[in-house]
Amino acid sequence: MSHPQLASIFNKDEKKVNWHDKALWFVRHKRDMSVHHVQGWEELRNLGHGIKAHMLSNLNSYLEEFEANAKKNGVEVHWAATAEEHNQIVHKILRENNAKKVVKSKSMLTEECHLNPYLEADGIEVVDTDLGERIVQLAKEPPSHIVLPAIHKNKHEVDELFQEHLGTKPCDGDPQYLTGEARKHLRQKFIEADAAITGVNFAIAETGGFVVCTNEGNADMGAHIAPIHIACMGVEKIIPKLEHLGVFLRLLARSATGQPVTTYSSHFKKPKADKKMHIVIVDNGRSEQLSRPDFRASLHCIRCGACMNTCPIYRRSGGHSYDATIPGPIGSILSPGKDLTKHSSLPFASTLCGSCSDVCPVKIDIHSQLYKWRQIITKNTPQPFIKKKSMQMMGNIFAKPKKFEKVGKIARWSLRNLPKSLINSKPNAWGKARDLPEGPKQSFDEWYNERQQNKNN
Amino acid sequence: MGSRAKILAKIKANKPDSLELPHIDPSIFDEGLNLVQEFTKKVEVVGGNVREIKSNIDAISQVKTLFPDVKVNFSTLENTKDFNTLDLSSIKSPQDLEDLDILILESDLAVAENGAVWVADSQLPFRVLPFITKHLVLVVSKKHIVPYMHQAYLKLNNAPTDFGVFISGPSKTADIEQSLVIGAHGALSLTVFLKF
Amino acid sequence: MKVGLFIPCYINQLYPQVGQATLELLEKLNVEVVYPSGQTCCGQPMANSGYESESVGACHHFVNNFKDFDYIVTPSGSCAYHVKKHYNIIPQTDDVTKVRNNVYELCDFILNVLKVKDLGASFPHKVGVHKSCHGLRGLRLGSCSERVTPEYSYIEELLKEVKGVELMPIKRSDECCGFGGTFAVTEEAVSVKMGKDKIKDHLESGVEVITATDTSCLMHLEGLVTRNKQPLKILHIAEILNSNL
Repeated sequence: MSHPQLASIFNKDEKKVNWHDKALWFVRHKRDMSVHHVQGWEELRNLGHGIKAHMLSNLNSYLEEFEANAKKNGVEVHWAATAEEHNQIVHKILRENNAKKVVKSKSMLTEECHLNPYLEADGIEVVDTDLGERIVQLAKEPPSHIVLPAIHKNKHEVDELFQEHLGTKPCDGDPQYLTGEARKHLRQKFIEADAAITGVNFAIAETGGFVVCTNEGNADMGAHIAPIHIACMGVEKIIPKLEHLGVFLRLLARSATGQPVTTYSSHFKKPKADKKMHIVIVDNGRSEQLSRPDFRASLHCIRCGACMNTCPIYRRSGGHSYDATIPGPIGSILSPGKDLTKHSSLPFASTLCGSCSDVCPVKIDIHSQLYKWRQIITKNTPQPFIKKKSMQMMGNIFAKPKKFEKVGKIARWSLRNLPKSLINSKPNAWGKARDLPEGPKQSFDEWYNERQQNKNN
Repeated sequence: MGSRAKILAKIKANKPDSLELPHIDPSIFDEGLNLVQEFTKKVEVVGGNVREIKSNIDAISQVKTLFPDVKVNFSTLENTKDFNTLDLSSIKSPQDLEDLDILILESDLAVAENGAVWVADSQLPFRVLPFITKHLVLVVSKKHIVPYMHQAYLKLNNAPTDFGVFISGPSKTADIEQSLVIGAHGALSLTVFLKF
Repeated sequence: MKVGLFIPCYINQLYPQVGQATLELLEKLNVEVVYPSGQTCCGQPMANSGYESESVGACHHFVNNFKDFDYIVTPSGSCAYHVKKHYNIIPQTDDVTKVRNNVYELCDFILNVLKVKDLGASFPHKVGVHKSCHGLRGLRLGSCSERVTPEYSYIEELLKEVKGVELMPIKRSDECCGFGGTFAVTEEAVSVKMGKDKIKDHLESGVEVITATDTSCLMHLEGLVTRNKQPLKILHIAEILNSNL
């Protein structure tokens, strides 16, 4: 289904929309409180943007540098051109080590590659260990937000879910109790795990190390207990130098949740002597996106989710209405690059208000890219006949003032004289919940001409 | 052609002309912070506690008052061997650390702007220690507090480590209806002891 | 100084009173203002719908109409923004560049070109400002809540000088109202919800009159207010600045 269809279903429950909107606006508010206290915030954003742009313009060299250093550190580096290959590589590592139980910390990349079902098909247990991710995993749903995966669920739904799957007692949705029970349940999973999979927030070319950020400590509980650590990263996660972390770690958590930094910013470099560390570097369409000058800045994204929290459409349509791994504004500029037809409604799920671009810590011109995708979509995907024709007609009318005048006159007459029931009938989506203005007798044009004539007389 | 070569070739062909790497000038962010005050405020904001200590002995005695019921203790501070109830040589795998109640570590780097304390591999016989412990106590000297992350990385540039982590407060989550709950998978509490 | 008055298509046809107020206001300020006849549309509706190519005729027509003016002034931040930002699809002749550089939203022109603040208007009402997005984040007619910059707002600066106006703060100072051009129709459910929430914010703050630099947002809000019979008046900023109640 398209975004407007899914959004209108979401909007059938207005109370839920209000709740969802408020919960995410609260996160945006916390972000504001935090960043407005940072001296030089805008300069920090400029640095974030500049470092990422530089990185992309030298990406192949930085990837090679990163690989060489990671290998020196005793890390095994793998390359995956596609999601399928990524899954095969991870699967192979697990099989070679006879790993049957896997704990995974949040990684949008493995979500993008649909790693879980791939491994589960071979009887491997994959447990998502971020609380929000665990909640949606138990509910058999995809995450609806990249930082707050279960933001669409209220505490009572979580309560019921945990009763069913974890055998918890009914608790009227007490978050403290539910979190405590999840801790116990997942602690067992950490202890038993044969392998840990994590994402990568930043990979540092000059050291071959990488940084993983969490608040819960789940990435570390997984990676330091299990004998094997597999870190999966998109090619664009590279940053040139260690000192650049100073910029990105200052931007990331403040933009995401308003925290001054995530609770844990873990810097992995060398595995312990008795352990193995693997890095899987994934392309899966990123190099293609890099080839598009108008859209390559979308690869700057550090996955903070601020554009989702600020987006008035996201807040009122829910993450699932985007039907894409990454929902919201950033997803709407990334997804069309992967499947233009499937995601053709996403760039239109915006008023182009520009809040996403202003909130973005790495200054991605998100709303301009939405506009540009629209131009491409209308040319390259099937468009409704009526939309196409009416646009041609409008283009024609607006190029010729005489025609415009005539059409305007008819429209104003109709608004004045036709019954409301006809004006607001079904084909006019505007009129479902809104009135149209009264059609004035005189256009401005007519009024002005009359006034000039009177003046001249 | 393998995927590695394929990916690198495609990126090389598709990337834009080289853009300049911006220079970071930390002075533009400088607000002249009172480091101890700011650090204390931020640790409290992220759910931790800050206390002053006079010595390592003082640290131990304060821990005993703060956590009267703990049974399994481990500290890497000098002169605190008596405190330890855990014999690390008996630990075969990280799983065996599950019962650890309290861990005291010393750090030589903390950041005022976000209350983060750096814990490096050299301090950690097992990397999982600061995460698996129920309560974490970090000891930092006031002179080791830097204002911003920029200064922190200048310091870390000269002190490479195999693994290290910035810890800012106890583990936490707000994944259930945005309600903040302290104590997710990592430590349930964090106390920072500041010494001269 | 030769000023061309740019009246957007929907104001021309549906809200002529906004154009009238704009013209009268500029004349009061002794601006030599001309309304070139035969104006149509800046092309934004097609372009934002993904049919930029269909708007080329409108762009050329616009440039022809306005190429001889020193300034082009319009009571619409959104249309001014469109000309500035998106007229890169036609060859950048001197005329096109001139037009793009010289197009101004009304408040911006009054405050920053004419350098006038007090227009001698009076309007004894509780006023809520809707900061239309294209004017705000496109033309930067005010500071934006996302960015860490000094606070300012052209429309509020002018309103503060209007006798009797009581400016009412709202909770979400610059969230979009949900109009968004064809978005209002293609994403009807979300658009209406955004509009309803915006109105609620104003009502809860005790606003009597909502105003903005853009009639498009206001048409959307007015449509909801009228349908739901809510006690709010909707007026374009030019109408308030031109009033003497």
